[in-house]
Amino acid sequence: MKTLTKIALVLIPTITLSMAATAHDPSMHAKKAEKADCSKMDHSKMDMKDPVAIAMMKKCMKQAETSSDKMDHSKMGKKMDHSKMTEMADHNMKKDGHDNH
Amino acid sequence: MKMLKLLLLFVVLGLGVAATVMYSGVVDVAADEPHSDFVYWVLEETRKNSITKAAQNIEVPDLEDPDLLLTGGSDYEFMCSSCHLAPGQKESDMSLGLYPAPPNLTIAAESHKGHEHGDDTQAARKNFWVIKHGIKASGMPAWGKTHEDERIWAMVAFIKKLPTLTPEQYQILTAIE
Ligand code: HEC
Ligand SMILES: [Cu+2]
Repeated sequence: MKTLTKIALVLIPTITLSMAATAHDPSMHAKKAEKADCSKMDHSKMDMKDPVAIAMMKKCMKQAETSSDKMDHSKMGKKMDHSKMTEMADHNMKKDGHDNH
Repeated sequence: MKMLKLLLLFVVLGLGVAATVMYSGVVDVAADEPHSDFVYWVLEETRKNSITKAAQNIEVPDLEDPDLLLTGGSDYEFMCSSCHLAPGQKESDMSLGLYPAPPNLTIAAESHKGHEHGDDTQAARKNFWVIKHGIKASGMPAWGKTHEDERIWAMVAFIKKLPTLTPEQYQILTAIE
């Protein structure tokens, strides 16, 4: 075999394969059952009338109950009264939907 | 009698054209080859009107309950985000490869000009119908075969909020635990 043919035989598959790998980041396919990342929640920005905020609180409160993974209270302002939170979350709030856009 | 013959001729001619188109193989069904503007318009109008009509009498429940965002969120992440994307994501294999392309549901359809909120109900109806019944000859599956109406409404509620969510909010709402 000619050297050129040999080089081609090695190089062509290598290049094609590596290109396929870059075009196709495997992490995009991996569906991981992730835990909610509650440490990123910024309570100071949260409007407790917003269904999105209430839903997030509920999710993270449930997570804190079932695991040792507690919410990071050090990041929260003192303004937040956690004793009222269950009450608020249960209070299926009605609103006109005009707060968040 | 003459009229009848003429009509018959047209019918035969029409069938002939249809058969030629079908059997000659001139129609390109490749998903990476877009429809012509005309064909696209015909299909788009047909789909739009079909959905509007089919969905017009659907009764929309209360979609503001926060719990809906949690069930709808994890369902969306696992069943829909591969095609319809998540906040912060620009494309996926499906969003690029499918034709008709799945709309990016993380951006608001019409960015809210003139404030017509009467359309919210209409949008919810249509979304519910599309999720439940799917769309023929597109990648959009009918989820109603395997999911109760309540779960579909939860996804409708989630989709309504989706364009307002940051990637962090999305992660918390959609995570399994
Ligand atoms: C395999 C890809 C795929 C998956 C998975 C998928 N869809 Fe779709 N969806 C599509 C495509 C493609 C269309 C557009 C069809 C068309 O335009 O004819 C569509 C259309 C829609 C529409 C209509 C949007 C509009 O404004 O016209 C909604 C709503 C929707 N999908 C919701 C969902 C939900 C919710 C899920 C998950 C339960 C889901 N889809 C899963 C491919 C998908
Ligand atoms: Cu508004």
